Amino acid sequence: MTCEEFERVLPELGDGHTTEQEAHLKSCSACSDLVADLNAISQQARLLQGSEEPSPWVWNSIEVALQQEGLIRQPHLARSQPPAPLLGWKLRWLVPAAAMFLVAFGVLMFQRGTGQPPVAEQQTPPVGVETAGLQPMAGDDLQLLKTVGERMPSMRAEYEANLRSVNAYIRDAEESADSDPNDEVAQQYLRNAYEQKAMVYEMALDRSLP
Amino acid sequence: MTDAKKQQSNKLSEAEAIERAKLGDAEAFEALYNLHKRRVYSLCLRMTANTAAAEDLTQEAFLQLFRKIGTFRGESAFSTWLHRMSVNVVLMQLRKKGLPVVAIEDTMETEEDAPRKELGADDARLAGSVDRMQLQRSIAALPPGYRMIFLLHDVEGYEHNEIAEMVGCSIGNSKSQLHKARMKLREILKTSRAEKAAKP
Repeated sequence: MTCEEFERVLPELGDGHTTEQEAHLKSCSACSDLVADLNAISQQARLLQGSEEPSPWVWNSIEVALQQEGLIRQPHLARSQPPAPLLGWKLRWLVPAAAMFLVAFGVLMFQRGTGQPPVAEQQTPPVGVETAGLQPMAGDDLQLLKTVGERMPSMRAEYEANLRSVNAYIRDAEESADSDPNDEVAQQYLRNAYEQKAMVYEMALDRSLP
Repeated sequence: MTDAKKQQSNKLSEAEAIERAKLGDAEAFEALYNLHKRRVYSLCLRMTANTAAAEDLTQEAFLQLFRKIGTFRGESAFSTWLHRMSVNVVLMQLRKKGLPVVAIEDTMETEEDAPRKELGADDARLAGSVDRMQLQRSIAALPPGYRMIFLLHDVEGYEHNEIAEMVGCSIGNSKSQLHKARMKLREILKTSRAEKAAKP
């Protein structure tokens, strides 16, 4: 089997190969590399599923439309319920925390623009609990999850997943931006990543306070 | 809680939310939205490569879903129903704008769009070094026809027969377009890596 013959049938191949195709792959490094590359692209692509978060206004718009169309027949119970008699002073930290992220990424953008090392590199590494195989989370993230767990236990897992995802996004974006500070696309991705993190905190704040 | 029990718990939550949403429960609508918003939005964002358009389409997909939720009988998985609806919403929008959804014939893609033949090329392998950020950018750079099939198959996990039905092409065309999309991505990723390596 020649390389051209192999590539001709490549679109039809799933996970399995015939004996002839296997033999060709073993003997031809170019085709073997090609198949490995295409598989790597496919596998990495699957990780992109559901990796983006819409802004909070999307739900707000949907809710308004549902109310206008009369599809919501009961008032939003979560907002009418009295707040749990606990967390007043503990929840107030969410306000500055959300603001802190917005300010922090603004400072970060400014420092990148002036060539100074990013704020994140100047700070001491965050102290967090390491879950098996996962990146440790910063203290603020852990505090947010603790508060969410106390106030809205059913949402804790979702917030943890959101935070891990957005933290991974920030790490990837920082890496890209650091490798080329003049790359505007990478800078935009980094801004988006920080905005998303600020949104996660804002949503937690919105749900937690009366 | 084990993963199996968590999944069981989530399934019950979704089923309960669906029944309550049929009765007009606002919390139930929001719960369903939160369960599926990331996947729907990510799909819309990658298909349109535009944040504002993606948010509008996400809103439209969920509104269509919620308007029809009274007709959901549970014959298929709720998520399948929702995601099919999302794909249809995006496809309708693209067709309305006259944008190409998928190339019916190979010749519709321009010479520049088509991946180059590089059999026997002496380039380093990509495997093990496909960066997520770079892949996202590369997907956005794909011609619309290639991008649609790639997103539906490799990102969203649809089979070729499902894609063919959704976009109105043959299974063979779907497979061909997917292969070309992957080859084009490989080309873009390698070019990008070579350019980065060449920079001082």
